[in-house]
Amino acid sequence: MKDQKQHLMGVFDGEDPLVEAFDKLRDEKVEMADFFTPFPIHHILEHHGRKSRLITVSWFYGLFAALGVLAFLYYTAVISWPLNFGGKPSNAFPSFIVITIVLTIFSVTILSLFTFSARAKLWPNVDKRIYHEGATDDKFVILFELDQIDEQKVKSLLKDLGAVEIIEK
Amino acid sequence: MEERLKLSPLYYIGTFILIAVGVAAFIMGFINDPTRAWANFLLNNVYFVSLAVGAVLFLALQRVTQSGWSAGFIRVPEAMGMYLPVAAVLFLVMVFGVHSLYHWSHSEAVAHDPILQHKQPFLNVPFWFGRMLIFFALWILLATMLRRYSLREDEEGGLVIFKKAAHVAKIFIFVILITFSLAGFDWIMSIDPHWYSALFAFKNFVSAFYHAAAIITFIVLLLNQFGYFPFLTRSHMHDFSSYIFMLCIIWGYFWFAEFMLIWYGNIPEETVYFVTRMQTEEWRVFFFANVIINWFIPFMIMMPAPSRRSKLTLKIIVPVLLVGLFLDLYLQIFPGVVGKQVLGFNEIGGFLGFAGLFMLVVGYFLTKANLYPKQHPYMEECLEHHV
Repeated sequence: MKDQKQHLMGVFDGEDPLVEAFDKLRDEKVEMADFFTPFPIHHILEHHGRKSRLITVSWFYGLFAALGVLAFLYYTAVISWPLNFGGKPSNAFPSFIVITIVLTIFSVTILSLFTFSARAKLWPNVDKRIYHEGATDDKFVILFELDQIDEQKVKSLLKDLGAVEIIEK
Repeated sequence: MEERLKLSPLYYIGTFILIAVGVAAFIMGFINDPTRAWANFLLNNVYFVSLAVGAVLFLALQRVTQSGWSAGFIRVPEAMGMYLPVAAVLFLVMVFGVHSLYHWSHSEAVAHDPILQHKQPFLNVPFWFGRMLIFFALWILLATMLRRYSLREDEEGGLVIFKKAAHVAKIFIFVILITFSLAGFDWIMSIDPHWYSALFAFKNFVSAFYHAAAIITFIVLLLNQFGYFPFLTRSHMHDFSSYIFMLCIIWGYFWFAEFMLIWYGNIPEETVYFVTRMQTEEWRVFFFANVIINWFIPFMIMMPAPSRRSKLTLKIIVPVLLVGLFLDLYLQIFPGVVGKQVLGFNEIGGFLGFAGLFMLVVGYFLTKANLYPKQHPYMEECLEHHV
Protein backbone atom coordinates (compact mmCIF):
# COMPACT_ATOMS: atom_id res chain seq x y z
CA MET A 1 0.00 0.00 0.00
CA LYS A 2 2.22 2.80 -1.19
CA ASP A 3 1.33 6.40 -0.61
CA GLN A 4 1.14 7.82 -4.12
CA LYS A 5 0.58 11.48 -3.30
CA GLN A 6 3.19 14.06 -4.18
CA HIS A 7 4.78 15.80 -1.24
CA LEU A 8 6.97 18.73 -0.43
CA MET A 9 9.23 18.69 2.61
CA GLY A 10 10.87 21.52 4.49
CA VAL A 11 13.75 20.28 6.60
CA PHE A 12 15.02 22.33 9.57
CA ASP A 13 18.02 22.07 11.81
CA GLY A 14 16.42 22.49 15.20
CA GLU A 15 13.33 22.89 17.29
CA ASP A 16 13.32 26.67 17.37
CA PRO A 17 13.53 27.24 13.59
CA LEU A 18 10.79 24.63 13.13
CA VAL A 19 8.47 26.28 15.63
CA GLU A 20 9.16 29.69 14.11
CA ALA A 21 8.42 28.37 10.63
CA PHE A 22 5.31 26.62 11.89
CA ASP A 23 3.93 29.84 13.35
CA LYS A 24 4.70 31.79 10.20
CA LEU A 25 3.14 29.18 7.90
CA ARG A 26 0.09 29.01 10.12
CA ASP A 27 -0.30 32.78 9.84
CA GLU A 28 -0.08 32.43 6.07
CA LYS A 29 -2.76 29.73 6.20
CA VAL A 30 -0.59 27.14 4.49
CA GLU A 31 -1.92 23.62 4.93
CA MET A 32 0.66 21.45 6.69
CA ALA A 33 0.05 17.73 6.37
CA ASP A 34 2.42 16.29 8.96
CA PHE A 35 5.53 16.78 11.07
CA PHE A 36 8.45 14.46 11.71
CA THR A 37 10.66 15.37 14.64
CA PRO A 38 13.12 13.45 16.82
CA PHE A 39 11.05 14.28 19.92
CA PRO A 40 7.52 15.55 20.51
CA ILE A 41 7.18 19.32 20.35
CA HIS A 42 4.35 20.56 22.54
CA HIS A 43 3.83 23.79 20.70
CA ILE A 44 3.01 21.92 17.52
CA LEU A 45 0.93 19.28 19.28
CA GLU A 46 -1.18 22.03 20.77
CA HIS A 47 -1.57 24.30 17.77
CA HIS A 48 -1.65 22.18 14.64
CA GLY A 49 -5.40 21.98 14.90
CA ARG A 50 -5.95 18.26 15.09
CA LYS A 51 -6.94 16.76 18.41
CA SER A 52 -5.85 13.29 19.38
CA ARG A 53 -8.59 11.24 20.98
CA LEU A 54 -6.17 8.50 21.99
CA ILE A 55 -5.95 9.82 25.57
CA THR A 56 -9.71 9.66 26.05
CA VAL A 57 -9.85 6.21 24.59
CA SER A 58 -7.04 5.05 26.86
CA TRP A 59 -8.85 6.45 29.87
CA PHE A 60 -11.91 4.40 29.05
CA TYR A 61 -9.80 1.31 28.43
CA GLY A 62 -8.39 1.83 31.91
CA LEU A 63 -11.80 2.30 33.47
CA PHE A 64 -13.25 -0.80 31.84
CA ALA A 65 -10.13 -2.84 32.57
CA ALA A 66 -10.26 -1.93 36.26
CA LEU A 67 -13.96 -2.68 36.53
CA GLY A 68 -13.56 -5.85 34.49
CA VAL A 69 -10.73 -7.21 36.60
CA LEU A 70 -12.56 -6.43 39.82
CA ALA A 71 -15.71 -8.06 38.50
CA PHE A 72 -13.76 -11.13 37.44
CA LEU A 73 -12.07 -11.45 40.82
CA TYR A 74 -15.39 -10.95 42.56
CA TYR A 75 -17.01 -13.61 40.42
CA THR A 76 -14.27 -16.19 40.97
CA ALA A 77 -13.67 -15.52 44.66
CA VAL A 78 -17.18 -14.84 45.89
CA ILE A 79 -19.81 -16.22 43.54
CA SER A 80 -18.32 -19.17 41.72
CA TRP A 81 -15.88 -20.78 44.14
CA PRO A 82 -15.66 -19.21 47.62
CA LEU A 83 -12.78 -20.60 49.70
CA ASN A 84 -11.87 -19.88 53.28
CA PHE A 85 -8.34 -18.47 53.49
CA GLY A 86 -7.43 -17.98 57.13
CA GLY A 87 -10.86 -16.68 58.05
CA LYS A 88 -10.73 -13.81 55.59
CA PRO A 89 -13.94 -12.65 53.96
CA SER A 90 -14.48 -14.08 50.48
CA ASN A 91 -14.65 -10.58 49.08
CA ALA A 92 -11.08 -9.70 50.13
CA PHE A 93 -11.19 -6.35 48.41
CA PRO A 94 -7.82 -4.89 49.50
CA SER A 95 -5.96 -7.90 48.17
CA PHE A 96 -7.70 -7.50 44.80
CA ILE A 97 -6.33 -4.02 44.31
CA VAL A 98 -2.72 -4.89 43.48
CA ILE A 99 -3.60 -7.26 40.67
CA THR A 100 -6.20 -4.77 39.44
CA ILE A 101 -3.57 -2.06 39.14
CA VAL A 102 -1.18 -4.35 37.31
CA LEU A 103 -3.76 -5.69 34.88
CA THR A 104 -5.17 -2.22 34.26
CA ILE A 105 -1.77 -0.92 33.24
CA PHE A 106 -1.23 -3.94 31.04
CA SER A 107 -4.61 -3.61 29.32
CA VAL A 108 -4.28 0.12 28.76
CA THR A 109 -0.84 -0.30 27.23
CA ILE A 110 -1.73 -3.14 24.90
CA LEU A 111 -5.13 -1.80 23.83
CA SER A 112 -3.81 1.72 23.26
CA LEU A 113 -0.97 0.33 21.19
CA PHE A 114 -3.40 -1.66 19.05
CA THR A 115 -5.72 1.30 18.67
CA PHE A 116 -2.88 3.55 17.67
CA SER A 117 -1.57 1.03 15.15
CA ALA A 118 -4.99 0.55 13.64
CA ARG A 119 -5.58 4.28 13.30
CA ALA A 120 -2.11 4.82 11.85
CA LYS A 121 -2.69 1.90 9.45
CA LEU A 122 0.32 0.09 10.82
CA TRP A 123 -0.19 -3.60 10.67
CA PRO A 124 1.99 -6.51 9.58
CA ASN A 125 3.21 -6.40 6.00
CA VAL A 126 2.52 -2.72 5.56
CA ASP A 127 5.28 -0.97 3.71
CA LYS A 128 5.22 2.47 5.28
CA ARG A 129 6.88 5.27 3.45
CA ILE A 130 9.75 6.91 5.30
CA TYR A 131 9.85 10.53 4.30
CA HIS A 132 13.13 11.64 5.78
CA GLU A 133 15.55 9.44 7.67
CA GLY A 134 17.08 12.40 9.46
CA ALA A 135 13.84 12.92 11.37
CA THR A 136 14.85 10.15 13.73
CA ASP A 137 18.19 11.80 14.28
CA ASP A 138 18.63 15.56 14.19
CA LYS A 139 16.35 16.92 11.48
CA PHE A 140 12.93 18.52 11.93
CA VAL A 141 10.61 18.05 8.98
CA ILE A 142 7.38 19.70 7.88
CA LEU A 143 5.44 17.77 5.26
CA PHE A 144 3.09 19.39 2.72
CA GLU A 145 0.81 17.76 0.22
CA LEU A 146 1.48 19.33 -3.15
CA ASP A 147 -2.15 19.49 -4.25
CA GLN A 148 -3.09 21.49 -1.19
CA ILE A 149 -0.52 24.27 -1.43
CA ASP A 150 0.81 26.93 -3.70
CA GLU A 151 4.17 25.34 -4.42
CA GLN A 152 6.20 28.38 -5.41
CA LYS A 153 4.99 30.46 -2.51
CA VAL A 154 5.70 27.77 0.08
CA LYS A 155 9.13 27.10 -1.37
CA SER A 156 10.12 30.74 -1.16
CA LEU A 157 8.65 30.97 2.34
CA LEU A 158 10.64 27.95 3.48
CA LYS A 159 13.79 29.41 2.02
CA ASP A 160 13.22 32.65 3.92
CA LEU A 161 12.52 30.76 7.12
CA GLY A 162 15.87 29.02 6.99
CA ALA A 163 15.04 25.51 5.85
CA VAL A 164 18.27 23.61 5.26
CA GLU A 165 16.70 21.36 2.65
CA ILE A 166 13.59 21.56 0.49
CA ILE A 167 12.71 18.21 -1.04
CA GLU A 168 10.01 17.14 -3.42
CA LYS A 169 9.07 13.50 -3.13
CA MET B 1 15.11 41.02 37.78
CA GLU B 2 15.30 43.14 40.88
CA GLU B 3 12.05 43.01 42.74
CA ARG B 4 11.13 42.81 46.38
CA LEU B 5 7.92 41.54 47.79
CA LYS B 6 5.94 44.24 49.54
CA LEU B 7 3.43 43.07 52.09
CA SER B 8 0.82 45.51 53.22
CA PRO B 9 0.36 46.16 56.96
CA LEU B 10 -3.02 44.47 56.55
CA TYR B 11 -1.25 41.18 55.94
CA TYR B 12 0.69 41.46 59.18
CA ILE B 13 -2.42 42.54 61.09
CA GLY B 14 -4.23 39.54 59.65
CA THR B 15 -1.54 37.13 60.77
CA PHE B 16 -1.51 38.67 64.26
CA ILE B 17 -5.28 38.26 64.49
CA LEU B 18 -4.90 34.61 63.51
CA ILE B 19 -2.17 34.14 66.11
CA ALA B 20 -4.39 35.78 68.73
CA VAL B 21 -7.21 33.36 67.86
CA GLY B 22 -4.75 30.50 68.23
CA VAL B 23 -3.46 31.71 71.58
CA ALA B 24 -7.04 32.08 72.84
CA ALA B 25 -7.85 28.56 71.64
CA PHE B 26 -4.83 27.10 73.40
CA ILE B 27 -5.42 28.99 76.65
CA MET B 28 -9.00 27.73 76.66
CA GLY B 29 -7.76 24.28 75.85
CA PHE B 30 -5.13 24.13 78.59
CA ILE B 31 -7.71 25.25 81.15
CA ASN B 32 -10.50 22.90 80.08
CA ASP B 33 -8.77 19.82 78.78
CA PRO B 34 -4.94 19.82 78.78
CA THR B 35 -4.64 16.45 77.04
CA ARG B 36 -6.68 17.63 74.10
CA ALA B 37 -4.76 20.90 73.97
CA TRP B 38 -1.44 19.06 73.89
CA ALA B 39 -2.74 16.80 71.14
CA ASN B 40 -3.59 19.91 69.15
CA PHE B 41 -0.23 21.42 69.89
CA LEU B 42 1.56 18.31 68.66
CA LEU B 43 -0.62 18.09 65.56
CA ASN B 44 -0.02 21.67 64.49
CA ASN B 45 3.67 21.46 65.30
CA VAL B 46 4.10 18.39 63.14
CA TYR B 47 1.87 19.90 60.44
CA PHE B 48 3.96 23.01 59.91
CA VAL B 49 7.30 21.31 60.45
CA SER B 50 6.24 18.90 57.70
CA LEU B 51 5.59 21.82 55.39
CA ALA B 52 8.90 23.49 56.22
CA VAL B 53 10.93 20.30 55.92
CA GLY B 54 9.13 19.31 52.73
CA ALA B 55 9.85 22.73 51.27
CA VAL B 56 13.56 22.47 52.01
CA LEU B 57 13.55 18.99 50.50
CA PHE B 58 11.92 20.42 47.38
CA LEU B 59 14.59 23.12 47.28
CA ALA B 60 17.36 20.57 47.82
CA LEU B 61 16.04 18.46 44.96
CA GLN B 62 16.05 21.47 42.64
CA ARG B 63 19.65 22.12 43.68
CA VAL B 64 20.79 18.53 43.22
CA THR B 65 19.10 18.04 39.86
CA GLN B 66 20.23 21.54 38.81
CA SER B 67 16.74 22.21 37.54
CA GLY B 68 16.28 25.14 35.25
CA TRP B 69 12.54 25.50 35.31
CA SER B 70 12.32 26.14 39.05
CA ALA B 71 15.28 28.51 39.36
CA GLY B 72 13.11 31.61 39.62
CA PHE B 73 10.92 30.25 42.38
CA ILE B 74 13.42 28.91 44.91
CA ARG B 75 13.05 31.90 47.22
CA VAL B 76 9.63 30.54 48.23
CA PRO B 77 10.83 27.17 49.65
CA GLU B 78 13.84 28.96 51.13
CA ALA B 79 11.52 31.26 53.07
CA MET B 80 9.36 28.33 54.15
CA GLY B 81 12.46 26.60 55.53
CA MET B 82 13.07 29.60 57.76
CA TYR B 83 10.06 28.50 59.80
CA LEU B 84 12.23 25.72 61.28
CA PRO B 85 13.86 27.80 64.07
CA VAL B 86 10.41 28.97 65.18
CA ALA B 87 9.18 25.39 65.08
CA ALA B 88 12.15 24.32 67.21
CA VAL B 89 11.12 26.71 69.96
CA LEU B 90 7.53 25.48 69.82
CA PHE B 91 8.72 21.88 69.95
CA LEU B 92 10.82 22.61 73.01
CA VAL B 93 7.63 23.76 74.74
CA MET B 94 6.32 20.26 74.23
CA VAL B 95 8.64 18.97 76.94
CA PHE B 96 5.94 20.06 79.39
CA GLY B 97 3.34 18.00 77.57
CA VAL B 98 5.23 14.74 77.30
CA HIS B 99 3.22 13.11 80.06
CA SER B 100 -0.09 14.14 78.51
CA LEU B 101 0.90 12.88 75.10
CA TYR B 102 2.98 9.76 75.55
CA HIS B 103 1.96 6.74 77.52
CA TRP B 104 5.55 5.47 77.64
CA SER B 105 6.73 8.51 79.55
CA HIS B 106 4.97 7.37 82.74
CA SER B 107 7.40 5.29 84.79
CA GLU B 108 4.58 3.47 86.61
CA ALA B 109 3.11 2.38 83.26
CA VAL B 110 6.50 1.13 82.10
CA ALA B 111 6.98 -0.84 85.35
CA HIS B 112 4.03 -3.12 84.53
CA ASP B 113 4.61 -3.39 80.83
CA PRO B 114 7.32 -5.74 79.48
CA ILE B 115 7.03 -4.32 75.95
CA LEU B 116 7.66 -0.79 77.14
CA GLN B 117 10.49 -2.01 79.33
CA HIS B 118 12.05 -3.59 76.28
CA LYS B 119 11.74 -0.32 74.36
CA GLN B 120 12.89 1.84 77.24
CA PRO B 121 16.51 2.30 76.13
CA PHE B 122 15.16 4.13 73.11
CA LEU B 123 11.84 5.50 74.30
CA ASN B 124 12.69 7.54 77.38
CA VAL B 125 12.19 11.24 77.91
CA PRO B 126 15.82 12.47 77.99
CA PHE B 127 16.80 10.55 74.86
CA TRP B 128 13.56 11.55 73.10
CA PHE B 129 14.31 15.15 73.92
CA GLY B 130 17.94 14.85 72.89
CA ARG B 131 17.00 13.37 69.54
CA MET B 132 14.62 16.25 68.95
CA LEU B 133 17.44 18.73 69.60
CA ILE B 134 19.74 16.94 67.19
CA PHE B 135 17.09 16.82 64.46
CA PHE B 136 16.35 20.51 64.72
CA ALA B 137 20.01 21.48 64.94
CA LEU B 138 20.74 19.60 61.72
CA TRP B 139 17.67 20.86 59.87
CA ILE B 140 18.15 24.49 60.85
CA LEU B 141 21.86 24.36 60.03
CA LEU B 142 21.35 22.90 56.55
CA ALA B 143 18.28 24.98 55.68
CA THR B 144 20.05 28.17 56.72
CA MET B 145 23.14 27.19 54.73
CA LEU B 146 21.05 26.65 51.62
CA ARG B 147 19.42 30.04 52.02
CA ARG B 148 22.70 31.82 52.80
CA TYR B 149 24.34 30.37 49.71
CA SER B 150 21.42 31.46 47.61
CA LEU B 151 21.55 35.01 48.97
CA ARG B 152 25.31 35.19 48.44
CA GLU B 153 24.82 33.96 44.90
CA ASP B 154 22.66 37.04 44.32
CA GLU B 155 25.64 39.27 44.99
CA GLU B 156 28.57 37.29 43.69
CA GLY B 157 27.22 35.18 40.86
CA GLY B 158 29.40 32.59 39.23
CA LEU B 159 29.36 28.85 39.61
CA VAL B 160 31.29 28.33 42.86
CA ILE B 161 28.36 28.91 45.19
CA PHE B 162 26.02 27.00 42.89
CA LYS B 163 28.18 23.91 43.25
CA LYS B 164 28.53 24.35 47.00
CA ALA B 165 24.78 24.66 47.40
CA ALA B 166 24.27 21.48 45.37
CA HIS B 167 26.67 19.72 47.71
CA VAL B 168 24.84 20.90 50.84
CA ALA B 169 21.58 19.83 49.23
CA LYS B 170 22.91 16.29 48.83
CA ILE B 171 23.81 16.18 52.51
CA PHE B 172 20.41 17.53 53.41
CA ILE B 173 18.58 14.83 51.47
CA PHE B 174 20.48 12.07 53.26
CA VAL B 175 20.03 13.72 56.64
CA ILE B 176 16.36 14.44 56.22
CA LEU B 177 15.51 10.95 55.07
CA ILE B 178 16.92 9.46 58.26
CA THR B 179 16.07 12.15 60.76
CA PHE B 180 12.55 12.86 59.57
CA SER B 181 11.75 9.16 59.63
CA LEU B 182 13.02 8.91 63.20
CA ALA B 183 11.11 12.07 64.06
CA GLY B 184 7.92 10.48 62.76
CA PHE B 185 8.53 7.42 64.94
CA ASP B 186 9.32 9.61 67.94
CA TRP B 187 6.60 12.18 67.76
CA ILE B 188 3.64 10.31 66.32
CA MET B 189 4.11 6.57 66.22
CA SER B 190 5.20 6.39 69.86
CA ILE B 191 1.73 7.61 70.86
CA ASP B 192 0.70 3.99 70.35
CA PRO B 193 3.88 2.43 71.76
CA HIS B 194 2.69 -1.17 71.35
CA TRP B 195 2.03 -0.74 67.67
CA TYR B 196 4.68 -0.47 64.99
CA SER B 197 4.81 -0.14 61.25
CA ALA B 198 7.96 0.16 59.20
CA LEU B 199 6.23 2.13 56.46
CA PHE B 200 4.86 4.68 58.89
CA ALA B 201 7.84 7.00 58.73
CA PHE B 202 8.15 6.94 55.00
CA LYS B 203 4.46 7.57 54.54
CA ASN B 204 4.76 10.71 56.64
CA PHE B 205 7.91 11.69 54.80
CA VAL B 206 6.08 11.49 51.47
CA SER B 207 3.14 13.31 53.00
CA ALA B 208 5.40 16.18 54.08
CA PHE B 209 6.95 16.44 50.63
CA TYR B 210 3.55 16.17 48.93
CA HIS B 211 1.82 18.87 50.91
CA ALA B 212 4.86 21.15 50.91
CA ALA B 213 5.01 20.95 47.11
CA ALA B 214 1.34 21.94 47.05
CA ILE B 215 1.90 24.91 49.37
CA ILE B 216 4.91 26.14 47.38
CA THR B 217 2.78 26.09 44.26
CA PHE B 218 0.01 27.90 46.07
CA ILE B 219 2.28 30.67 47.35
CA VAL B 220 3.73 31.14 43.88
CA LEU B 221 0.22 31.35 42.42
CA LEU B 222 -0.97 33.83 45.02
CA LEU B 223 2.06 36.05 44.48
CA ASN B 224 1.51 35.75 40.75
CA GLN B 225 -2.04 36.99 41.20
CA PHE B 226 -0.66 40.14 42.82
CA GLY B 227 1.73 40.74 39.96
CA TYR B 228 4.88 38.97 41.08
CA PHE B 229 6.53 36.17 39.10
CA PRO B 230 5.55 37.73 35.76
CA PHE B 231 7.41 34.95 33.96
CA LEU B 232 5.15 32.18 35.28
CA THR B 233 3.78 30.27 32.29
CA ARG B 234 1.69 27.20 31.68
CA SER B 235 4.91 25.21 31.35
CA HIS B 236 5.94 26.11 34.89
CA MET B 237 2.46 25.20 36.06
CA HIS B 238 2.81 21.85 34.36
CA ASP B 239 6.05 21.15 36.22
CA PHE B 240 4.68 22.25 39.57
CA SER B 241 1.61 20.10 39.23
CA SER B 242 3.64 17.16 37.98
CA TYR B 243 5.29 17.22 41.38
CA ILE B 244 1.93 17.30 43.14
CA PHE B 245 0.43 14.63 40.90
CA MET B 246 3.42 12.31 41.23
CA LEU B 247 3.48 12.69 45.01
CA CYS B 248 -0.27 12.16 45.16
CA ILE B 249 0.22 8.76 43.55
CA ILE B 250 3.12 7.92 45.86
CA TRP B 251 1.11 8.98 48.89
CA GLY B 252 -1.74 6.71 47.85
CA TYR B 253 0.73 3.92 47.17
CA PHE B 254 2.31 4.08 50.60
CA TRP B 255 -0.97 4.55 52.38
CA PHE B 256 -2.30 1.45 50.71
CA ALA B 257 0.89 -0.54 51.13
CA GLU B 258 0.86 0.07 54.88
CA PHE B 259 -2.81 -0.74 55.20
CA MET B 260 -2.89 -3.79 53.00
CA LEU B 261 0.09 -5.55 54.55
CA ILE B 262 -1.36 -5.11 58.02
CA TRP B 263 -4.84 -6.12 56.86
CA TYR B 264 -3.49 -9.19 55.09
CA GLY B 265 -1.10 -10.23 57.85
CA ASN B 266 -3.95 -9.96 60.34
CA ILE B 267 -1.73 -9.98 63.44
CA PRO B 268 -3.72 -8.59 66.39
CA GLU B 269 -1.07 -6.22 67.70
CA GLU B 270 -0.77 -4.66 64.26
CA THR B 271 -4.41 -4.60 63.22
CA VAL B 272 -5.55 -2.91 66.41
CA TYR B 273 -4.39 0.38 64.97
CA PHE B 274 -6.64 0.06 61.94
CA VAL B 275 -9.52 -1.52 63.80
CA THR B 276 -9.85 1.58 65.94
CA ARG B 277 -9.67 3.89 62.98
CA MET B 278 -11.58 1.98 60.35
CA GLN B 279 -14.21 -0.05 62.12
CA THR B 280 -15.46 2.23 64.88
CA GLU B 281 -18.32 4.61 64.26
CA GLU B 282 -16.23 7.50 65.62
CA TRP B 283 -13.31 7.44 63.22
CA ARG B 284 -14.59 5.63 60.14
CA VAL B 285 -15.67 8.79 58.35
CA PHE B 286 -12.28 10.39 58.89
CA PHE B 287 -10.47 7.25 57.78
CA PHE B 288 -12.16 7.14 54.40
CA ALA B 289 -12.23 10.91 54.00
CA ASN B 290 -8.46 10.84 54.41
CA VAL B 291 -7.98 8.64 51.34
CA ILE B 292 -10.57 10.47 49.30
CA ILE B 293 -9.19 13.92 50.04
CA ASN B 294 -5.49 13.15 49.87
CA TRP B 295 -5.51 10.71 47.01
CA PHE B 296 -8.74 10.26 45.09
CA ILE B 297 -9.78 13.88 44.47
CA PRO B 298 -6.34 15.21 43.44
CA PHE B 299 -5.66 12.10 41.38
CA MET B 300 -8.88 12.33 39.43
CA ILE B 301 -8.83 16.09 38.96
CA MET B 302 -5.20 16.31 37.93
CA MET B 303 -5.21 13.41 35.50
CA PRO B 304 -6.01 15.38 32.32
CA ALA B 305 -3.03 17.45 31.20
CA PRO B 306 -5.03 20.67 30.60
CA SER B 307 -6.16 20.75 34.20
CA ARG B 308 -2.57 20.29 35.36
CA ARG B 309 -1.69 23.45 33.50
CA SER B 310 -4.55 25.55 34.78
CA LYS B 311 -4.08 27.92 37.68
CA LEU B 312 -7.70 27.52 38.69
CA THR B 313 -7.43 23.76 39.26
CA LEU B 314 -4.41 24.20 41.46
CA LYS B 315 -6.09 26.92 43.46
CA ILE B 316 -8.88 24.43 44.17
CA ILE B 317 -6.66 21.42 44.85
CA VAL B 318 -4.30 23.05 47.33
CA PRO B 319 -6.89 24.11 49.95
CA VAL B 320 -8.29 20.59 49.72
CA LEU B 321 -4.81 19.22 50.41
CA LEU B 322 -4.38 21.59 53.37
CA VAL B 323 -7.40 19.96 54.93
CA GLY B 324 -6.01 16.61 53.86
CA LEU B 325 -2.76 16.93 55.80
CA PHE B 326 -4.70 18.04 58.89
CA LEU B 327 -6.99 15.05 58.57
CA ASP B 328 -4.09 12.66 58.06
CA LEU B 329 -2.32 13.85 61.22
CA TYR B 330 -5.59 14.12 63.14
CA LEU B 331 -6.24 10.47 62.46
CA GLN B 332 -2.73 9.53 63.56
CA ILE B 333 -2.69 11.54 66.78
CA PHE B 334 -6.17 11.95 68.20
CA PRO B 335 -7.36 8.34 68.60
CA GLY B 336 -4.23 7.56 70.61
CA VAL B 337 -3.99 10.69 72.76
CA VAL B 338 -7.55 11.89 73.30
CA GLY B 339 -9.34 8.63 72.61
CA LYS B 340 -12.54 10.19 71.39
CA GLN B 341 -13.52 12.19 68.37
CA VAL B 342 -13.39 15.92 69.14
CA LEU B 343 -13.39 18.67 66.58
CA GLY B 344 -14.24 22.14 67.78
CA PHE B 345 -12.86 25.57 68.47
CA ASN B 346 -9.73 24.11 70.06
CA GLU B 347 -8.74 22.29 66.89
CA ILE B 348 -9.75 24.93 64.37
CA GLY B 349 -8.60 27.92 66.40
CA GLY B 350 -5.31 26.25 67.23
CA PHE B 351 -4.72 25.49 63.58
CA LEU B 352 -5.52 29.08 62.57
CA GLY B 353 -3.04 30.33 65.16
CA PHE B 354 -0.24 28.19 63.83
CA ALA B 355 -1.20 29.06 60.26
CA GLY B 356 -0.95 32.76 61.17
CA LEU B 357 2.49 32.22 62.64
CA PHE B 358 3.62 30.30 59.56
CA MET B 359 2.30 33.04 57.28
CA LEU B 360 4.03 35.69 59.37
CA VAL B 361 7.40 33.94 59.26
CA VAL B 362 7.26 32.99 55.58
CA GLY B 363 5.98 36.41 54.55
CA TYR B 364 8.67 38.17 56.59
CA PHE B 365 11.48 36.11 55.08
CA LEU B 366 10.10 36.54 51.58
CA THR B 367 10.28 40.31 51.96
CA LYS B 368 13.80 40.13 53.38
CA ALA B 369 15.45 39.14 50.11
CA ASN B 370 15.11 39.78 46.43
CA LEU B 371 12.17 37.70 45.25
CA TYR B 372 14.08 36.25 42.29
CA PRO B 373 17.57 34.76 42.51
CA LYS B 374 18.87 37.09 39.82
CA GLN B 375 22.36 35.58 39.53
CA HIS B 376 21.26 31.95 39.58
CA PRO B 377 23.02 30.26 36.65
CA TYR B 378 19.76 28.79 35.38
CA MET B 379 17.65 31.92 35.76
CA GLU B 380 17.69 32.52 32.03
CA GLU B 381 16.48 28.99 31.42
CA CYS B 382 13.65 29.49 33.86
CA LEU B 383 12.52 32.65 32.09
CA GLU B 384 12.56 30.90 28.72
CA HIS B 385 11.16 27.62 30.00
CA HIS B 386 8.67 25.86 27.81
CA VAL B 387 7.74 22.24 27.35
